[in-house]
Amino acid sequence: MLDWLAYVNHRLSRLPLSEAEALQVREELAAHLEDTHLSLRAQGLSESEAVRLTCDQVSSWQELRRNILSAKSEAFMQNRVSQLWIPGLVTFFGSFVLLAVYEILGFPLFVIHPGEPSTIVIYVYWLLSLPLLGALGAYLSLRARGRGLAVHCAALFPALIMAAVLLAVFLVALVVDRHASFRIVTSAFAVGVLNGILLPGVFLLVGDLLLQLVMKCRRASN
Amino acid sequence: MIRTELKRGTAELAILSVLERQPLHGYEISRRIEQDSAGALRFTLAALYPLLYRMENRGWVRGEWGTSDNGRRRRCYKLLPRGRKMLAPLRAEWADLFRAMRRVAKVNHA
Repeated sequence: MLDWLAYVNHRLSRLPLSEAEALQVREELAAHLEDTHLSLRAQGLSESEAVRLTCDQVSSWQELRRNILSAKSEAFMQNRVSQLWIPGLVTFFGSFVLLAVYEILGFPLFVIHPGEPSTIVIYVYWLLSLPLLGALGAYLSLRARGRGLAVHCAALFPALIMAAVLLAVFLVALVVDRHASFRIVTSAFAVGVLNGILLPGVFLLVGDLLLQLVMKCRRASN
Repeated sequence: MIRTELKRGTAELAILSVLERQPLHGYEISRRIEQDSAGALRFTLAALYPLLYRMENRGWVRGEWGTSDNGRRRRCYKLLPRGRKMLAPLRAEWADLFRAMRRVAKVNHA
């Protein structure tokens, strides 16, 4: 009898999935071919005829590979959207709406002058609200069965976006505005990192970790 | 013989319906559907598995490796609550379609 696993391995040699997943797929398809072949033999067909009809189960292995990958990647994309992008964007927009509301309502700020040319403005009330948003992002991601890094990224999304924006602005400022003093650009960048990334990141992370701790305790008590 | 396009649309309902009765592995699913439809619906390996993987990803079914009656290692698919929930609306949708086709095409037995 034909070694169906070797046959499938040969036909689906390039299957860009994780090794374990690709192995499972190949083993499962080989099992199906083996059952088909045995059934045809049991019906009285000759070996060559049974093999031919079994091989006819797949008219194009390339197309099958495409269809399997499409089915698997659909899940990957759906998971990324529900576990990272949606919770992340909710956290991101939530944090900026909150900041705007506090600004409009005139909540007090904390201003530090560490020396020219920098002035650090700390949005105290906004920062104190961020753990709630971090927890919300983490909760939405966990609810969509997110795990590990996806949950943390969803919770820290506003700080990650700010990091990307600041880095881009810093590089552009260095390249485009050559007349600006390097010291001014770097000190503005440092203030931006502190205000837009580090402080919000820490407060968002507090919410994220607290929520995960609460959910862990709840699961343990159940 | 029912046309291929229409068959493709029936695939999810057919698979969920046979799994509603008992967990089955891929080959058994295709055999059971073929038997129950008196040969009108046939799933080749190429048609069946991408669909099963998609349904698994949607949380309708779950495949688990086990040992079949003849002692071979097979991946058995079980209907999950989310898949069970999909059955009623899918059945209603197909019933509506057949009723509509009966009226349009003046077919007595769809």
